[in-house]
Amino acid sequence: MLRGVLTIEEQRARMKAVWPMFAARSLDRASQSVRWVGEVRPQFARFMLEIRYQVGDVPDVRVLKPALVRLPENVEGQLPHVYPPTDDPTLCLFDPALKQWDPTMEIAETTVPWAFDWIACYEMWLMTGRWTGGGRHGSVLPSVGFAS
Amino acid sequence: MEVIVNAPFQLQGRNPFDDPLDRILAEVALSTQLPPSLHRQAGGRYAAVRKHLEADPAFEGQIEHFYPQGSMAIDATISNRGTDDEYDLDIISQLGGRFRGMEPLTILLELERALANYPVQKIVRQTRCVTLYYSDRMHLDVTPALRAYGMLDRESFITHAKGPRSSADDRFVDMNAYGFARWYNNRTPLELRMAKAMHEHWLRLEKNAVSADAEVDEVPDQCDFIVKNTATLALQLLKRFRNIRYATYDGRIPPSVMLSYFAGLAAQPDMTLSDMLIRQAKWIVGEIELASLYGRKLHVANPVCPKDVFTDRWPENIAQQNEFARHLKEMIDGLESVKRGDLFADRLMEWLRGHFGDRVVTKAADRMADEIGNGVQAAEQRYSRKGSLLLPTAGAIAAAASPAIVSAKPHSFYGVPI
Repeated sequence: MLRGVLTIEEQRARMKAVWPMFAARSLDRASQSVRWVGEVRPQFARFMLEIRYQVGDVPDVRVLKPALVRLPENVEGQLPHVYPPTDDPTLCLFDPALKQWDPTMEIAETTVPWAFDWIACYEMWLMTGRWTGGGRHGSVLPSVGFAS
Repeated sequence: MEVIVNAPFQLQGRNPFDDPLDRILAEVALSTQLPPSLHRQAGGRYAAVRKHLEADPAFEGQIEHFYPQGSMAIDATISNRGTDDEYDLDIISQLGGRFRGMEPLTILLELERALANYPVQKIVRQTRCVTLYYSDRMHLDVTPALRAYGMLDRESFITHAKGPRSSADDRFVDMNAYGFARWYNNRTPLELRMAKAMHEHWLRLEKNAVSADAEVDEVPDQCDFIVKNTATLALQLLKRFRNIRYATYDGRIPPSVMLSYFAGLAAQPDMTLSDMLIRQAKWIVGEIELASLYGRKLHVANPVCPKDVFTDRWPENIAQQNEFARHLKEMIDGLESVKRGDLFADRLMEWLRGHFGDRVVTKAADRMADEIGNGVQAAEQRYSRKGSLLLPTAGAIAAAASPAIVSAKPHSFYGVPI
């Protein structure tokens, strides 16, 4: 049986159950959008993460705090595996070409642990200069194009 | 249901790889420890040196005991001050009746003569021992000793003579290294979970090294646990910190045996590695501050031999002990800051390098980065419901048993260069 697109209420309920530290803010049932903010500490430092999501779109994940340190001369670029703009990057947690995310999936089980993976790799990148989490850089911004 | 009431209690300890800070500290300790290959060789070398000495007519039938002392006896050996890959090991050679009545210098000269043709790179007579320098950067100090009869087991007098001629300063020094090692080992029993975690990690690293270097002998799957508890692992880090902090210092530094004594006193089961390191450092700071408050130099003696004074050559004055306390307090502040999550990764790396040395910290971080990266790429990373990363193996075991563990679905990072 094909799974349907999850509603914003379903996503919010699942986030609340799995990751209670992410508070849902700006829930808009009309536009089926939500913004979560939560403080997490996957590895060494504390990070304030923001996840913005509108049903049918791709979740946007930002680090609100602290300001992300960059390594200008690094082979991966000054900040690896993000989307522009430079002054407000969002984390790039899956490869759109591999169709690893669609709106039938739970953000709690995909986007959130993927963001933790990104933070763990980012911290090790800062410490070693090497991004060991794999992936690739391209030039295309993602669009899910998922028909509900 | 059968209940076993007399099952021996086994301390488990904490797996240092379960916490990110402890994990990198454990990697640092692993990078400074005597490597397993040299650890295994050490036993063979002791036996070979003893055999060589016993073949000498002067020593034939005269070696009553030949046993490791110092860090090797308590499994706390790390690389020397100023190096990342040179190791000093110590042996006590308890000598028999022929040597009683001899002057300290005469005994040292006899030992030097008997070892003169030993197949090593260099042989040097020191004030209290003869040092054999092996080509793989292991140094073996052989210290002659005479048993102090009527005292505790193996309490001995060791030789002290600068040479090359006799002087008024030549003497025998009372000591009981054997008794101290037993005291330390009794206070720091095996913590099984912790020891297994370190051992398995070590074997993994050795196996990787073997696959990278075909000339290395095959690594056995089983051998004794080398680091048996968190207190000893923390002691290794404390010694490493001391070595780095005093790397360019000209003069005597806080002695390892004194640090071992405090580690033994502070030992407590089931602590995390970083908590134990903080506890040991705070313990020493407290002792120094108390001594300084009363205008005294720190006095630490062997708990089983009061005449064996561990602080006989350091500190030379109160200012020296206060300086060490300041260094320790600075390390404690840093560790507590990392534990609170206040230090960002780039500053954490600088901090670790400054306190434990550039090369070993780089190596430790590289290993950890590879393991984290491999875990992410294989979708093996696990997170607690609080969002903290769990060791892949521990996480996998826990995930099967607990709904409180979240694993990431496979994914590949993408991005547009900025």
